[in-house]
Amino acid sequence: MRSGTSPATAYDDRPYTRGGTVDRTDVGALVRSAVDGDTAAWKALVDGLSPLVWSVVRAHRLSDADGHEVYQTVWFRFAQHLGRIREPHKAGSWLASTARNECLKVIKGLKRLTPTDDPQLLDRASEDRTPEQSVLDSEEAAAQSERVRFLWQEFEELGERCRQLLRVLIASPPPSYQEVSAALGIAVGSIGPMRQRCLRRLRARLDARGAL
Amino acid sequence: MDETGRTNGANGDGQDDVFGEAPFLDEELDHDRLEEELREATAVLDPVPAELRRLAIEAYALHDLDARIAELTFDSLVDAIPVRGAVDVPRMLTFHSGELTVDVEVTGEGLLGQLLPPRPAAIEVLHGPRATAVLTADDMGRFSCDAPPTGPFALRLRTGGEVVVTEWLRA
Repeated sequence: MRSGTSPATAYDDRPYTRGGTVDRTDVGALVRSAVDGDTAAWKALVDGLSPLVWSVVRAHRLSDADGHEVYQTVWFRFAQHLGRIREPHKAGSWLASTARNECLKVIKGLKRLTPTDDPQLLDRASEDRTPEQSVLDSEEAAAQSERVRFLWQEFEELGERCRQLLRVLIASPPPSYQEVSAALGIAVGSIGPMRQRCLRRLRARLDARGAL
Repeated sequence: MDETGRTNGANGDGQDDVFGEAPFLDEELDHDRLEEELREATAVLDPVPAELRRLAIEAYALHDLDARIAELTFDSLVDAIPVRGAVDVPRMLTFHSGELTVDVEVTGEGLLGQLLPPRPAAIEVLHGPRATAVLTADDMGRFSCDAPPTGPFALRLRTGGEVVVTEWLRA
């Protein structure tokens, strides 16, 4: 029931404020309005938080079909639990950790169905690239600068841990570190240093390529 | 932001330590800018598919304050030890709500269920906001469906004047 004074409840233990952070302080208010039947509030929650849910799915490199199902499961469950969520202002973290658990279940199910050395897992990972590629192939993407293409390529090849962390960090609007922590099972305190290391590595790769 | 203000002006062959010559603060700014550029690239190259956004908005219809939630308390996918060499093992799920237990077994052939304590119920199989099948649990609390659920699903049970919905999960 806190109002006004310190709006940054969810950000209390953030090491520093990241640029361009969209105000998430009203997530709790939106959840409460949605519970009371406000459709617009629900829509605002979807717009504000579905990129985060999607980023978690993408970070885990699920196939498109599995990813779509996980995404839906997460939102169906969120709608179902809406009035019972204990800390409405942490709805983003709730969604992120639910998405993570569902992703891990998919990965576990795949491992069970196929011998561990089965290349299917790798195939599924490479399937992931099709959306990007199809966009790149389209007319519209031709207009996109080389720059974006280089950047994305280097990002994709950054190594699994960095790619995963950055994929969630770059959701739009930017997630809080609590949400990133819930999405990836990483301690909040280690996100800042990891982010720095990953971005430094990405910068070095781009410089080496003479891009950007 | 001033593009030319980047500290690492020397490019290509030099490629030497970014942080040696760049003060900490500049690196921080550079990282923020890089992150922002990635964010913009994501919006173009890997956005939330429009169809999924629509489904999430429609999911609001699943918000039902009158129904009790039966929580998933056992999922063989997570809680069972896999049997070596066993192929096509059924998925066993258990949901709890108060004193009511719902056991569900999902195989390639369909869905088999048991309410405990045994009681009759009208059961809808949900795949999203609309029901796709209507089942009946007999006096012994048994029910079955000869189409296996695909994708996210839940069961909505009406029994003894109350409505219970199982937690959404992926078949």
